[in-house]
Amino acid sequence: MRRRRAPGAALASILLAAVCVAADVPTDSVYQLHAQLTTQAARPAGLDLYRGHPALIGMFYGSCPAACPMLITALKVYESRLDESSQARLRVLLVSFDAARDTPAELDRLARLHRSDPARWTFSSAPEADARRIAALLGVSYRRLPGGDFDHSLKITLLDEDGRIVASTTTLVGDRHFLAQLRAATQAQTR
Amino acid sequence: MRRARAGLALAVLLWGGAAGAEDNPYIAVPGAEFRSALPSGGQENVRVRSFLLQRHPVTNEEFLAFVGTHPGWQRGAAPEILAGAGYLGAWAGPLDFGPGAARAQPVTEVSWFAADAYCAAQHARLPDWYEWELAAAASASARDARSDPAWRQQLLDWYARPGGKTLPAIEQRPANLYGLHDLHGLVWEWVRDFSSLLPADADPEKFCGSGALNVQQKENYAVLMRIAMLGSLRAADTGRLVGFRCARDAGAPP
Repeated sequence: MRRRRAPGAALASILLAAVCVAADVPTDSVYQLHAQLTTQAARPAGLDLYRGHPALIGMFYGSCPAACPMLITALKVYESRLDESSQARLRVLLVSFDAARDTPAELDRLARLHRSDPARWTFSSAPEADARRIAALLGVSYRRLPGGDFDHSLKITLLDEDGRIVASTTTLVGDRHFLAQLRAATQAQTR
Repeated sequence: MRRARAGLALAVLLWGGAAGAEDNPYIAVPGAEFRSALPSGGQENVRVRSFLLQRHPVTNEEFLAFVGTHPGWQRGAAPEILAGAGYLGAWAGPLDFGPGAARAQPVTEVSWFAADAYCAAQHARLPDWYEWELAAAASASARDARSDPAWRQQLLDWYARPGGKTLPAIEQRPANLYGLHDLHGLVWEWVRDFSSLLPADADPEKFCGSGALNVQQKENYAVLMRIAMLGSLRAADTGRLVGFRCARDAGAPP
Protein backbone atom coordinates (compact mmCIF):
# COMPACT_ATOMS: atom_id res chain seq x y z
CA MET A 1 0.00 0.00 0.00
CA ARG A 2 2.66 2.40 1.08
CA ARG A 3 4.88 1.37 -1.80
CA ARG A 4 2.08 2.00 -4.22
CA ARG A 5 1.20 5.42 -2.95
CA ALA A 6 4.70 6.86 -2.92
CA PRO A 7 5.21 7.14 -6.68
CA GLY A 8 1.84 8.87 -7.01
CA ALA A 9 2.77 11.41 -4.36
CA ALA A 10 6.13 11.99 -6.01
CA LEU A 11 4.42 12.47 -9.37
CA ALA A 12 1.92 14.87 -7.85
CA SER A 13 4.69 17.01 -6.37
CA ILE A 14 6.55 17.00 -9.68
CA LEU A 15 3.41 18.11 -11.49
CA LEU A 16 2.79 20.77 -8.85
CA ALA A 17 6.35 22.02 -9.25
CA ALA A 18 5.88 22.19 -13.02
CA VAL A 19 2.71 24.23 -12.62
CA CYS A 20 4.39 26.60 -10.16
CA VAL A 21 7.32 27.22 -12.48
CA ALA A 22 4.99 27.81 -15.39
CA ALA A 23 3.00 30.31 -13.35
CA ASP A 24 6.09 32.49 -12.97
CA VAL A 25 6.55 32.96 -16.68
CA PRO A 26 4.97 36.22 -17.86
CA THR A 27 1.93 35.74 -20.05
CA ASP A 28 3.64 37.57 -22.94
CA SER A 29 6.79 35.44 -22.76
CA VAL A 30 7.80 33.03 -25.51
CA TYR A 31 8.70 30.66 -22.67
CA GLN A 32 4.95 30.01 -22.39
CA LEU A 33 5.46 27.61 -25.28
CA HIS A 34 6.53 24.16 -24.16
CA ALA A 35 8.73 22.90 -26.95
CA GLN A 36 11.14 19.97 -26.89
CA LEU A 37 14.57 20.77 -28.23
CA THR A 38 17.54 18.45 -28.59
CA THR A 39 20.92 20.10 -28.13
CA GLN A 40 24.31 19.45 -29.73
CA ALA A 41 25.13 17.51 -26.56
CA ALA A 42 22.12 15.25 -27.30
CA ARG A 43 20.33 16.60 -24.24
CA PRO A 44 16.64 17.50 -24.15
CA ALA A 45 16.00 21.17 -23.47
CA GLY A 46 13.12 23.60 -23.41
CA LEU A 47 12.90 26.88 -25.24
CA ASP A 48 13.51 28.42 -21.80
CA LEU A 49 16.98 26.86 -21.63
CA TYR A 50 18.50 30.30 -21.05
CA ARG A 51 15.86 31.72 -18.78
CA GLY A 52 17.48 34.22 -16.44
CA HIS A 53 19.72 35.62 -19.16
CA PRO A 54 19.12 38.00 -22.03
CA ALA A 55 19.23 35.79 -25.10
CA LEU A 56 19.36 35.94 -28.87
CA ILE A 57 17.41 33.30 -30.72
CA GLY A 58 17.44 32.37 -34.39
CA MET A 59 16.12 29.57 -36.57
CA PHE A 60 18.16 27.83 -39.27
CA TYR A 61 18.96 24.50 -40.88
CA GLY A 62 22.43 23.04 -40.99
CA SER A 63 22.72 22.04 -44.63
CA CYS A 64 21.70 25.51 -45.77
CA PRO A 65 24.30 26.69 -48.28
CA ALA A 66 24.48 30.43 -47.65
CA ALA A 67 21.78 32.12 -45.62
CA CYS A 68 22.22 30.15 -42.41
CA PRO A 69 25.99 30.63 -42.11
CA MET A 70 25.18 34.32 -42.61
CA LEU A 71 22.72 34.18 -39.72
CA ILE A 72 25.28 32.57 -37.44
CA THR A 73 27.93 35.05 -38.51
CA ALA A 74 25.53 37.92 -37.88
CA LEU A 75 24.88 36.63 -34.36
CA LYS A 76 28.61 36.55 -33.73
CA VAL A 77 29.06 40.06 -35.10
CA TYR A 78 26.30 41.50 -32.90
CA GLU A 79 27.79 39.67 -29.94
CA SER A 80 31.26 41.02 -30.70
CA ARG A 81 29.95 44.58 -30.51
CA LEU A 82 29.22 44.14 -26.79
CA ASP A 83 31.72 44.73 -24.01
CA GLU A 84 33.08 41.70 -22.19
CA SER A 85 30.73 41.76 -19.22
CA SER A 86 27.69 42.09 -21.50
CA GLN A 87 28.92 39.22 -23.63
CA ALA A 88 29.25 37.13 -20.48
CA ARG A 89 25.57 37.77 -19.68
CA LEU A 90 24.28 37.07 -23.18
CA ARG A 91 23.17 33.62 -24.33
CA VAL A 92 22.53 32.49 -27.91
CA LEU A 93 20.08 29.76 -28.92
CA LEU A 94 19.87 28.44 -32.47
CA VAL A 95 16.96 26.17 -33.36
CA SER A 96 17.01 24.01 -36.48
CA PHE A 97 13.73 23.12 -38.15
CA ASP A 98 15.42 20.20 -39.90
CA ALA A 99 15.60 17.69 -37.04
CA ALA A 100 16.00 14.76 -39.45
CA ARG A 101 19.34 15.97 -40.78
CA ASP A 102 20.48 18.17 -37.91
CA THR A 103 21.29 15.39 -35.50
CA PRO A 104 23.21 16.18 -32.29
CA ALA A 105 26.43 15.10 -34.04
CA GLU A 106 25.76 17.47 -36.92
CA LEU A 107 24.82 20.30 -34.54
CA ASP A 108 28.01 19.66 -32.60
CA ARG A 109 30.03 19.82 -35.82
CA LEU A 110 28.42 23.19 -36.65
CA ALA A 111 29.05 24.54 -33.17
CA ARG A 112 32.74 23.65 -33.50
CA LEU A 113 32.93 24.95 -37.05
CA HIS A 114 31.67 28.35 -35.90
CA ARG A 115 33.81 28.23 -32.75
CA SER A 116 30.95 29.22 -30.53
CA ASP A 117 31.38 29.20 -26.78
CA PRO A 118 29.49 26.07 -25.62
CA ALA A 119 28.88 27.65 -22.23
CA ARG A 120 26.82 30.42 -23.81
CA TRP A 121 25.74 29.13 -27.22
CA THR A 122 23.44 26.19 -27.92
CA PHE A 123 22.71 24.63 -31.29
CA SER A 124 19.50 22.65 -31.13
CA SER A 125 16.82 21.10 -33.29
CA ALA A 126 13.08 20.80 -32.81
CA PRO A 127 10.65 18.20 -34.16
CA GLU A 128 8.44 19.53 -36.93
CA ALA A 129 5.35 20.39 -34.88
CA ASP A 130 7.43 22.26 -32.30
CA ALA A 131 9.54 23.97 -34.97
CA ARG A 132 6.32 25.30 -36.54
CA ARG A 133 5.16 26.61 -33.17
CA ILE A 134 8.48 28.30 -32.43
CA ALA A 135 8.56 29.84 -35.91
CA ALA A 136 5.01 31.11 -35.44
CA LEU A 137 5.97 32.61 -32.11
CA LEU A 138 9.02 34.40 -33.48
CA GLY A 139 7.47 35.38 -36.81
CA VAL A 140 9.88 33.26 -38.83
CA SER A 141 8.41 31.81 -42.00
CA TYR A 142 9.79 28.71 -43.63
CA ARG A 143 8.72 26.20 -46.22
CA ARG A 144 10.19 22.84 -47.08
CA LEU A 145 10.99 22.76 -50.78
CA PRO A 146 10.59 19.63 -52.89
CA GLY A 147 14.37 19.12 -53.06
CA GLY A 148 14.74 18.99 -49.27
CA ASP A 149 16.00 22.52 -48.82
CA PHE A 150 14.03 25.20 -47.02
CA ASP A 151 12.88 28.60 -48.10
CA HIS A 152 12.91 30.69 -44.95
CA SER A 153 13.17 34.17 -43.56
CA LEU A 154 16.16 35.25 -41.51
CA LYS A 155 15.39 36.83 -38.20
CA ILE A 156 17.22 37.39 -34.94
CA THR A 157 15.07 37.89 -31.86
CA LEU A 158 16.26 39.38 -28.58
CA LEU A 159 14.61 38.04 -25.43
CA ASP A 160 14.84 39.44 -21.92
CA GLU A 161 15.56 37.28 -18.86
CA ASP A 162 11.95 36.09 -18.76
CA GLY A 163 11.60 35.36 -22.46
CA ARG A 164 9.74 38.50 -23.49
CA ILE A 165 10.55 39.73 -26.96
CA VAL A 166 12.51 42.96 -26.63
CA ALA A 167 13.45 43.47 -30.27
CA SER A 168 14.07 41.62 -33.47
CA THR A 169 15.87 42.29 -36.69
CA THR A 170 15.94 40.91 -40.20
CA THR A 171 18.94 43.09 -41.01
CA LEU A 172 21.85 40.77 -40.47
CA VAL A 173 24.51 43.42 -40.60
CA GLY A 174 24.52 46.78 -38.89
CA ASP A 175 21.02 47.27 -37.50
CA ARG A 176 22.05 50.06 -35.12
CA HIS A 177 18.70 50.26 -33.40
CA PHE A 178 18.78 46.54 -32.68
CA LEU A 179 22.37 46.79 -31.44
CA ALA A 180 21.39 49.59 -29.06
CA GLN A 181 18.61 47.44 -27.63
CA LEU A 182 20.97 44.48 -27.33
CA ARG A 183 23.44 46.67 -25.44
CA ALA A 184 20.73 47.91 -23.09
CA ALA A 185 19.38 44.42 -22.46
CA THR A 186 22.80 43.02 -21.58
CA GLN A 187 23.90 45.87 -19.26
CA ALA A 188 24.33 45.04 -15.58
CA GLN A 189 21.06 45.56 -13.76
CA THR A 190 21.35 48.75 -11.72
CA ARG A 191 18.24 48.14 -9.67
CA MET B 1 -8.20 3.17 -49.89
CA ARG B 2 -11.01 0.69 -49.56
CA ARG B 3 -10.94 1.07 -45.78
CA ALA B 4 -11.09 4.82 -46.09
CA ARG B 5 -14.11 4.57 -48.38
CA ALA B 6 -15.81 2.18 -45.97
CA GLY B 7 -15.07 4.59 -43.14
CA LEU B 8 -16.59 7.42 -45.10
CA ALA B 9 -19.74 5.42 -45.83
CA LEU B 10 -20.04 4.46 -42.17
CA ALA B 11 -19.55 8.04 -41.07
CA VAL B 12 -22.29 9.17 -43.42
CA LEU B 13 -24.62 6.50 -42.07
CA LEU B 14 -23.91 7.55 -38.51
CA TRP B 15 -24.52 11.21 -39.20
CA GLY B 16 -27.65 12.21 -37.36
CA GLY B 17 -27.59 15.99 -37.48
CA ALA B 18 -26.25 16.65 -33.98
CA ALA B 19 -22.91 18.41 -33.76
CA GLY B 20 -20.98 16.51 -31.11
CA ALA B 21 -17.22 16.09 -31.42
CA GLU B 22 -17.68 12.53 -32.73
CA ASP B 23 -19.80 13.98 -35.52
CA ASN B 24 -16.92 15.70 -37.22
CA PRO B 25 -15.29 12.69 -38.83
CA TYR B 26 -12.07 12.65 -40.83
CA ILE B 27 -12.84 12.24 -44.52
CA ALA B 28 -10.36 10.75 -46.98
CA VAL B 29 -8.98 13.02 -49.70
CA PRO B 30 -6.93 11.04 -52.25
CA GLY B 31 -3.53 12.45 -53.12
CA ALA B 32 -3.00 14.22 -56.41
CA GLU B 33 -0.66 16.18 -58.62
CA PHE B 34 -2.06 19.60 -58.22
CA ARG B 35 -1.62 23.04 -59.73
CA SER B 36 -1.57 25.38 -56.76
CA ALA B 37 -2.27 29.10 -56.84
CA LEU B 38 0.98 29.50 -54.90
CA PRO B 39 4.32 29.53 -56.68
CA SER B 40 5.91 26.12 -56.13
CA GLY B 41 9.61 26.58 -56.67
CA GLY B 42 9.53 26.65 -60.45
CA GLN B 43 7.56 23.43 -60.70
CA GLU B 44 4.30 23.23 -62.58
CA ASN B 45 2.52 21.02 -60.06
CA VAL B 46 2.82 20.13 -56.42
CA ARG B 47 2.35 16.59 -55.18
CA VAL B 48 -0.15 16.28 -52.33
CA ARG B 49 -0.25 12.95 -50.53
CA SER B 50 -3.50 11.32 -49.49
CA PHE B 51 -4.76 12.74 -46.23
CA LEU B 52 -7.85 13.01 -44.06
CA LEU B 53 -9.70 16.22 -43.36
CA GLN B 54 -12.50 16.93 -40.91
CA ARG B 55 -15.91 17.14 -42.50
CA HIS B 56 -16.73 20.62 -41.24
CA PRO B 57 -15.03 23.45 -39.36
CA VAL B 58 -14.70 22.78 -35.63
CA THR B 59 -17.83 24.04 -33.88
CA ASN B 60 -18.34 25.93 -30.62
CA GLU B 61 -19.63 22.75 -29.03
CA GLU B 62 -16.58 20.77 -30.10
CA PHE B 63 -14.20 23.48 -28.91
CA LEU B 64 -16.02 23.74 -25.58
CA ALA B 65 -15.37 20.04 -24.97
CA PHE B 66 -11.67 20.69 -25.64
CA VAL B 67 -11.27 23.63 -23.25
CA GLY B 68 -13.19 21.61 -20.65
CA THR B 69 -10.44 19.02 -20.64
CA HIS B 70 -7.58 21.47 -21.36
CA PRO B 71 -8.01 24.27 -18.81
CA GLY B 72 -4.83 25.97 -20.00
CA TRP B 73 -6.68 26.88 -23.19
CA GLN B 74 -9.68 28.46 -21.49
CA ARG B 75 -10.25 32.14 -22.08
CA GLY B 76 -8.42 34.02 -19.33
CA ALA B 77 -6.00 31.14 -18.77
CA ALA B 78 -4.36 30.97 -22.19
CA PRO B 79 -1.23 33.16 -22.23
CA GLU B 80 -1.57 36.26 -24.38
CA ILE B 81 1.48 35.39 -26.47
CA LEU B 82 -0.39 32.27 -27.67
CA ALA B 83 -3.92 33.64 -27.80
CA GLY B 84 -4.45 37.36 -28.40
CA ALA B 85 -6.85 39.71 -26.67
CA GLY B 86 -9.95 38.67 -28.63
CA TYR B 87 -9.58 34.96 -27.91
CA LEU B 88 -13.05 33.37 -27.72
CA GLY B 89 -14.36 36.89 -27.29
CA ALA B 90 -17.92 36.06 -28.38
CA TRP B 91 -18.32 33.44 -25.68
CA ALA B 92 -20.26 34.32 -22.52
CA GLY B 93 -17.60 32.74 -20.29
CA PRO B 94 -14.56 30.46 -20.27
CA LEU B 95 -16.77 27.35 -20.22
CA ASP B 96 -19.93 28.75 -21.76
CA PHE B 97 -20.35 29.85 -25.32
CA GLY B 98 -23.61 31.48 -24.27
CA PRO B 99 -26.45 32.90 -26.33
CA GLY B 100 -24.17 34.87 -28.65
CA ALA B 101 -22.73 31.72 -30.21
CA ALA B 102 -24.67 28.62 -31.21
CA ARG B 103 -23.28 25.16 -30.64
CA ALA B 104 -23.31 24.22 -34.32
CA GLN B 105 -21.61 27.41 -35.50
CA PRO B 106 -17.93 27.24 -36.37
CA VAL B 107 -15.79 28.34 -33.45
CA THR B 108 -13.99 31.56 -34.39
CA GLU B 109 -11.72 34.00 -32.58
CA VAL B 110 -9.24 31.20 -31.98
CA SER B 111 -5.54 31.77 -32.52
CA TRP B 112 -3.35 29.52 -34.65
CA PHE B 113 -1.74 28.22 -31.45
CA ALA B 114 -5.14 27.29 -29.99
CA ALA B 115 -6.23 25.59 -33.22
CA ASP B 116 -2.91 23.73 -33.33
CA ALA B 117 -3.37 22.60 -29.71
CA TYR B 118 -6.95 21.45 -30.39
CA CYS B 119 -5.81 19.30 -33.30
CA ALA B 120 -2.83 17.93 -31.36
CA ALA B 121 -5.26 16.84 -28.62
CA GLN B 122 -7.15 14.91 -31.31
CA HIS B 123 -3.92 13.22 -32.46
CA ALA B 124 -4.30 15.32 -35.56
CA ARG B 125 -2.81 18.48 -37.02
CA LEU B 126 -3.87 21.49 -39.01
CA PRO B 127 -3.96 20.85 -42.77
CA ASP B 128 -1.18 22.30 -44.88
CA TRP B 129 -2.17 24.96 -47.38
CA TYR B 130 -1.77 22.62 -50.38
CA GLU B 131 -4.01 20.05 -48.71
CA TRP B 132 -6.66 22.63 -47.93
CA GLU B 133 -6.44 24.08 -51.42
CA LEU B 134 -6.75 20.64 -53.04
CA ALA B 135 -9.81 19.77 -50.94
CA ALA B 136 -11.37 23.18 -51.59
CA ALA B 137 -10.92 22.93 -55.36
CA ALA B 138 -13.68 20.33 -55.57
CA SER B 139 -17.28 21.07 -56.41
CA ALA B 140 -20.07 18.60 -55.78
CA SER B 141 -19.27 16.84 -59.03
CA ALA B 142 -15.62 17.51 -59.96
CA ARG B 143 -12.30 17.12 -58.14
CA ASP B 144 -10.98 20.28 -59.69
CA ALA B 145 -13.77 22.71 -60.52
CA ARG B 146 -11.55 25.77 -60.53
CA SER B 147 -11.89 26.40 -64.23
CA ASP B 148 -15.66 25.94 -64.15
CA PRO B 149 -17.11 29.46 -64.57
CA ALA B 150 -20.37 28.58 -62.82
CA TRP B 151 -18.59 27.21 -59.76
CA ARG B 152 -16.20 30.13 -59.69
CA GLN B 153 -19.10 32.57 -59.81
CA GLN B 154 -20.80 30.72 -56.97
CA LEU B 155 -17.68 31.16 -54.84
CA LEU B 156 -17.45 34.85 -55.62
CA ASP B 157 -21.11 35.29 -54.74
CA TRP B 158 -20.50 33.67 -51.37
CA TYR B 159 -17.49 35.84 -50.66
CA ALA B 160 -19.30 38.97 -51.78
CA ARG B 161 -22.26 38.34 -49.52
CA PRO B 162 -22.31 40.88 -46.69
CA GLY B 163 -21.36 39.38 -43.35
CA GLY B 164 -24.40 38.87 -41.17
CA LYS B 165 -24.49 39.45 -37.44
CA THR B 166 -24.44 35.75 -36.70
CA LEU B 167 -22.55 33.00 -38.45
CA PRO B 168 -24.65 30.29 -40.05
CA ALA B 169 -24.41 26.77 -38.65
CA ILE B 170 -22.18 24.19 -40.28
CA GLU B 171 -23.38 21.87 -43.07
CA GLN B 172 -26.21 24.02 -44.33
CA ARG B 173 -24.93 23.60 -47.88
CA PRO B 174 -24.29 20.42 -49.86
CA ALA B 175 -20.98 18.64 -49.43
CA ASN B 176 -18.35 18.64 -52.14
CA LEU B 177 -17.26 15.55 -54.05
CA TYR B 178 -15.27 14.20 -51.11
CA GLY B 179 -18.09 14.73 -48.62
CA LEU B 180 -16.52 17.84 -47.09
CA HIS B 181 -18.64 20.82 -46.10
CA ASP B 182 -18.11 24.56 -45.77
CA LEU B 183 -14.65 24.94 -47.28
CA HIS B 184 -16.06 28.08 -48.87
CA GLY B 185 -18.68 30.53 -47.81
CA LEU B 186 -18.60 30.19 -44.03
CA VAL B 187 -15.29 31.04 -42.34
CA TRP B 188 -11.61 31.42 -43.13
CA GLU B 189 -9.57 28.51 -41.84
CA TRP B 190 -6.12 28.35 -40.29
CA VAL B 191 -3.61 26.11 -42.05
CA ARG B 192 -0.44 24.70 -40.50
CA ASP B 193 1.90 26.66 -42.76
CA PHE B 194 -0.15 29.88 -42.88
CA SER B 195 2.91 32.04 -42.21
CA SER B 196 4.84 30.65 -45.17
CA LEU B 197 2.35 31.25 -47.96
CA LEU B 198 4.07 34.35 -49.18
CA PRO B 199 7.70 34.18 -50.29
CA ALA B 200 10.02 34.61 -47.33
CA ASP B 201 11.27 37.95 -48.60
CA ALA B 202 7.86 39.30 -49.62
CA ASP B 203 6.60 42.45 -48.05
CA PRO B 204 2.95 41.73 -47.16
CA GLU B 205 2.02 45.25 -48.17
CA LYS B 206 3.39 44.66 -51.61
CA PHE B 207 1.64 41.34 -51.97
CA CYS B 208 -1.44 42.83 -53.54
CA GLY B 209 0.70 44.83 -55.92
CA SER B 210 3.88 43.68 -57.60
CA GLY B 211 4.35 40.71 -55.27
CA ALA B 212 1.12 39.25 -56.54
CA LEU B 213 2.89 38.59 -59.83
CA ASN B 214 4.47 35.60 -58.13
CA VAL B 215 1.11 34.00 -57.63
CA GLN B 216 -0.24 31.72 -60.30
CA GLN B 217 -3.85 31.56 -61.44
CA LYS B 218 -4.59 35.19 -60.93
CA GLU B 219 -8.18 34.57 -61.99
CA ASN B 220 -8.75 32.44 -58.91
CA TYR B 221 -9.77 35.38 -56.72
CA ALA B 222 -11.51 33.45 -53.99
CA VAL B 223 -8.38 31.49 -53.18
CA LEU B 224 -6.09 34.50 -53.57
CA MET B 225 -8.19 36.40 -51.03
CA ARG B 226 -7.62 33.56 -48.61
CA ILE B 227 -3.86 33.53 -49.19
CA ALA B 228 -3.65 37.28 -48.68
CA MET B 229 -5.78 37.14 -45.54
CA LEU B 230 -3.88 34.25 -43.96
CA GLY B 231 -0.57 35.83 -44.90
CA SER B 232 -1.53 38.98 -43.02
CA LEU B 233 -2.22 37.20 -39.73
CA ARG B 234 0.09 36.50 -36.85
CA ALA B 235 -0.19 33.21 -34.98
CA ALA B 236 -1.65 34.74 -31.82
CA ASP B 237 -4.27 36.72 -33.76
CA THR B 238 -7.93 35.89 -33.51
CA GLY B 239 -10.60 36.89 -35.97
CA ARG B 240 -14.36 36.97 -35.96
CA LEU B 241 -14.36 34.94 -39.18
CA VAL B 242 -11.29 32.80 -38.65
CA GLY B 243 -11.88 29.19 -37.60
CA PHE B 244 -10.22 25.88 -38.46
CA ARG B 245 -10.59 22.16 -38.97
CA CYS B 246 -8.06 19.38 -38.39
CA ALA B 247 -6.33 16.91 -40.70
CA ARG B 248 -4.48 13.64 -40.38
CA ASP B 249 -2.02 11.75 -42.54
CA ALA B 250 -3.73 8.92 -44.38
CA GLY B 251 -2.94 5.68 -42.60
CA ALA B 252 -2.31 7.39 -39.25
CA PRO B 253 -4.08 5.64 -36.37
CA PRO B 254 -7.22 7.52 -35.30
